[in-house]
Amino acid sequence: MKKSVTEKKHTMLGEIWRRFKKNRQAVIGLIVLILFILIAVFAPVVAPYGYDDQDASRAMMRPCTDYPFGTDNLGRDVMSRLIYGSRYSLSIGFLAVGISVITGGFLGIIAAYYPKLDNIIMRTMDLFMAIPQMLLAMCIVSALGPNLFNLMLAVGLSSTPKFARVVRASVLSTREQEFVEAARAIGASNTRIILRHIIPNSMAPLIVQATLAMAGAVISASALSFLGFGVAPPMPEWGAMLSAGRKYIRQAPYLTVIPGLAIMAIVYALNVVGDGLRDCLDPRLKK
Amino acid sequence: MSEILRVEDLKKYFETKKGTLHAVDGVTFTVEAGKTLGIVGESGCGKSTLGRVILHLHERTDGKIVFQGEDISDVSPAKLKALRKDMQIIFQDPYASLNPRMSLGNIIGEPLEIYGMCKSKEEKEKKVREIMDVVGLASRTYYLYPHELDGGRRQRVGIARALILDPKLIVCDEPVSALDVSIQAQILNLMMELQKERGLTYLFITHNLSVVKHISDDITVMYLGQMVEKADSAEIFKHQYHPYTKALISAIPLPKYDAPDNQIILKGEITSPINVTKSCRFAPRCIYAKPECFNTEPQLEEVAPNHFVKCHFVKEINNL
Repeated sequence: MKKSVTEKKHTMLGEIWRRFKKNRQAVIGLIVLILFILIAVFAPVVAPYGYDDQDASRAMMRPCTDYPFGTDNLGRDVMSRLIYGSRYSLSIGFLAVGISVITGGFLGIIAAYYPKLDNIIMRTMDLFMAIPQMLLAMCIVSALGPNLFNLMLAVGLSSTPKFARVVRASVLSTREQEFVEAARAIGASNTRIILRHIIPNSMAPLIVQATLAMAGAVISASALSFLGFGVAPPMPEWGAMLSAGRKYIRQAPYLTVIPGLAIMAIVYALNVVGDGLRDCLDPRLKK
Repeated sequence: MSEILRVEDLKKYFETKKGTLHAVDGVTFTVEAGKTLGIVGESGCGKSTLGRVILHLHERTDGKIVFQGEDISDVSPAKLKALRKDMQIIFQDPYASLNPRMSLGNIIGEPLEIYGMCKSKEEKEKKVREIMDVVGLASRTYYLYPHELDGGRRQRVGIARALILDPKLIVCDEPVSALDVSIQAQILNLMMELQKERGLTYLFITHNLSVVKHISDDITVMYLGQMVEKADSAEIFKHQYHPYTKALISAIPLPKYDAPDNQIILKGEITSPINVTKSCRFAPRCIYAKPECFNTEPQLEEVAPNHFVKCHFVKEINNL
């Protein structure tokens, strides 16, 4: 069939990107985020030393040309540890949020779409919400044992109720839309309605919640590591570095300031990207 | 002519916190194949609910639905899916009834996928483009999204989606009331052409009397979930016997400079359909109401050949 010139496939994504570009702060955040991801992926190439290369003769050196961020009490290069640490902190951020998105998203959709299950699921979620998130995460890690994966699981599961709420609210409004009724009228099954009609139209709040929660997850993971529930030494998770450095905060403040700044930068980047996404996904703000 | 749809004493009640809402309360009618039955009434009289109950988008509370000689009041999910091929719906709001995240090709082609009526993507595209041509959508709009079209074109998409399964009955739930007047005429003409070509039967739900006059063979007037008057289109515009129908017809604006002003203005709001009592539902707003109207419910009676009215005093009011 001959296609005319004006016939074009253009995507929703292109439109979203066009609107995202207008928000300068969000673009900067995105660049910072991409930079961090690249550093994490190419850590062995970028890092001047290994994360566990000890040199007792060079312990506690202030930042200099050889060691731009100085060395810690065991003579390890802080910059290299920071670079390797981004792998842990970022993967915790992404995977923990991934876990919450999947569990919270699933529970939220089911609760909203099948009213009979709504009360059971959401009251259980309320029960978990009553427990402070950090305490819940600590319980999960202590029960499963402190390691990287359990840390992610703990951070992810402890924020599941929040995601379930956001998704449920969004799906509740989508399922009342006329196009869902139209889908039912043409004989679509529940699975089809959920996958093709409900999910694509209720995911905007979830995407935003996910980017914002990613910043929270990095902080939670850092906090848990700081308390000793996270990754074990010598692995250079940022929170763990912060925790280890606090003993020397008078002699070597850079040991805590630098990982702290790194956490701040990534959290800031994720927050502005989240804000930018929320704005460009909201069609009401479309000009 | 053979009947395609018969509805007997159909009831749909919703349980609300305040009590039982009688959305549709004992509606009975027959539609003949290839004809159009117009259902008229003001907002909240249950006309949309009626259409949705017939299509099983809401489950009925009581009554009987007979489609093509078969009782479909209670059907299994598999049977219902098969039925939906023959009974389709066109929605009121072409902005809300199309999934904003799907392209037109996918929206119109979705029924084909659901019923496995296309073996390949090419076959689907071919069929979709054919039906787009039938409803007057340019083929180049295949990859567009609903937000890129105006209301009239969107409604054509809704019609195409309903037509692609080649149904016999289409419930039209105020299909033109969200459109501009000039577009309304285009869409109505399209629907009438399609009816002629494909032998479709329409159940045309609307509050717009001029529209219903244009398209319907028979007209049913509803008030608070009940039918108050039923006759063929020409008859009802000539003689209205029920006080409510009289008021409705008199309210049609006439495009004349010095049109006689004999409009009957109804007082008050439509009364609540929750926890109704045995009375004439129109009595609180009726200028002819007598004590009896508040105590007993009138029955639908034939006052002229094929002309039914639900009013105690129909004869006195109209000097019959």
